[in-house]
Amino acid sequence: MKYGIRVAAVDDIPKGEGISIDRSVTGTDDDIALLRDDDGCVWALNNTCTHAEASLAEGWVEDGYVECPLHSSKFCLKTGAVQGLPATRDAVAHRVELRDGDVYLFPRQGS
Amino acid sequence: MTTTVEPGNGARTVGAPPCGALQRPSELSRNIDVSGLVDSQGGLLDRAVFTDEQLYRQELRRIFATSWLFLAHTDQFHKPGDFFTTYMGEDPVIVTMDKNRNIRAYLNSCRHRGARVCRADYGATRSFTCTYHGWAYDLEGKLISIPNKEGYADNFHTDDWGLVEVPHVDSYQGLIFGTWDPKPVALRDSLGDIAWYLDAMLDHDAEGTVVVGGVNKWVLEGNWKLAAEQFASDWYHVNMSHASALMLLSPGGKPKDEVVHRTGRQYVDPKGHGHGFPVHPRNRFDAQTVHEWMDYAALRARLGDARVEGPVTTGHGTVFPNFSYLPVNGSIRVWHPKGPDRMEVWAWTIVDKSMPDHVREAQRLYNLRTFGPSGIFEQDDGENWSEVQVISHGFITNSVPLNYQMGIGSERHDGRYPGVTSELYSDAAARAMYARWRDLMNTPAWHERKPS
Repeated sequence: MKYGIRVAAVDDIPKGEGISIDRSVTGTDDDIALLRDDDGCVWALNNTCTHAEASLAEGWVEDGYVECPLHSSKFCLKTGAVQGLPATRDAVAHRVELRDGDVYLFPRQGS
Repeated sequence: MTTTVEPGNGARTVGAPPCGALQRPSELSRNIDVSGLVDSQGGLLDRAVFTDEQLYRQELRRIFATSWLFLAHTDQFHKPGDFFTTYMGEDPVIVTMDKNRNIRAYLNSCRHRGARVCRADYGATRSFTCTYHGWAYDLEGKLISIPNKEGYADNFHTDDWGLVEVPHVDSYQGLIFGTWDPKPVALRDSLGDIAWYLDAMLDHDAEGTVVVGGVNKWVLEGNWKLAAEQFASDWYHVNMSHASALMLLSPGGKPKDEVVHRTGRQYVDPKGHGHGFPVHPRNRFDAQTVHEWMDYAALRARLGDARVEGPVTTGHGTVFPNFSYLPVNGSIRVWHPKGPDRMEVWAWTIVDKSMPDHVREAQRLYNLRTFGPSGIFEQDDGENWSEVQVISHGFITNSVPLNYQMGIGSERHDGRYPGVTSELYSDAAARAMYARWRDLMNTPAWHERKPS
């Protein structure tokens, strides 16, 4: 895993939004949400909200957080730390590198 | 169809929601025979139609739950998740574009405890989540998330608890309508000949219309029918009610005889629609910038002389029951019923998509100035409707019949304008509207159980 897995082009992800990468690609327990903030940085969190069945990739990316599209809990893009009910558990965060316009993912195993 | 948005085909039917042992007693929805309240031949109307609470509940059941009702303009939806919240009668609905770009409408009420699942007036979303307990629905109305779901038994199926969908949504020239009737007459057939008159406003060229500005909303004391009836049938009030506004707009401030003694036609539709308009070879748009931009020769080529000399410009129309419009201003509006004594007016300004920005802005400002919430004409009308309503609960007042006799016997096919028309100054379309109202009020609706 020295170079990561190329999972998307940066331009595949609109600013302020996210896309979901299937677990068959990432080899993780959950799909992984790639979330692009308004500065153009890309972040990766486990896609399923820790509160209920909801896709964080469909959430709203704003001010360093992704807001769950269903019940509005927010998770820190950088660490996955939860901020605010109804979720109580942090999301799993994964390392991402951007190289030549592509997104490389370093999935954290055994979350 | 000149729009880029295709509403849903309306093939879906409302799934019978789980009712368990519930069975609503019929006493909760007793119907009154209204035959004696409307004399459409003699041109007389009983004032109870504007004031009675029981008749009002019956209108919600038999008129608003059965008719095609205006929801929104197609220009309000460009991408999946765009939504607009409005009402069908008193029922709150969400109109939205789903992931397949179909326009769909749902009852804006959570299936759990009934709160609205969308509180915003309009916007873009990916789901509709109830703020009470968090039941969440997707753009297709499906229940997709329930917090603490483990509390429900295994036989709880989310498929049974999606948002209640308006079974039929369709559009005509950019105007989106919906109906709760699971087997309705098609929208186009329901419009009938008024489509020809609507086209005078909506079909100036192949590009169709767009909305400018937001939706203006205001509350008026007055039964919704007072407004619907006036827009269907009433040019008569113009010179009296709007005297001060007409003087203001009159060149040189001098009263003009040709304004007071205009002639024209009034379309009278047995389905309750109506559209009145002066007829004159030099009819024009009022806003100077709009007038200068319009290519009247092209309009004549596309719409014909009869329309350009008639309903293209000054005039008034209603699509039964509660959608009305003013072609010269690009004003379209809904009279939302809020009890027998109150209505909410929701008004849009629409312009030709082909208009450059400065022409659009000129029309927007002209409409705002004349028929916006504080418009110099609109205020006159609201004042009259409220005046009529506020005294109408007096017992003696309420029992004195009202006069709708102008133009009795004038209805005819004139060979120039489609359908039956009457004179510009006439109550003919109002008589037809109340006849339609009476017939629907006396007809059991699709949702009523057949007597056993």
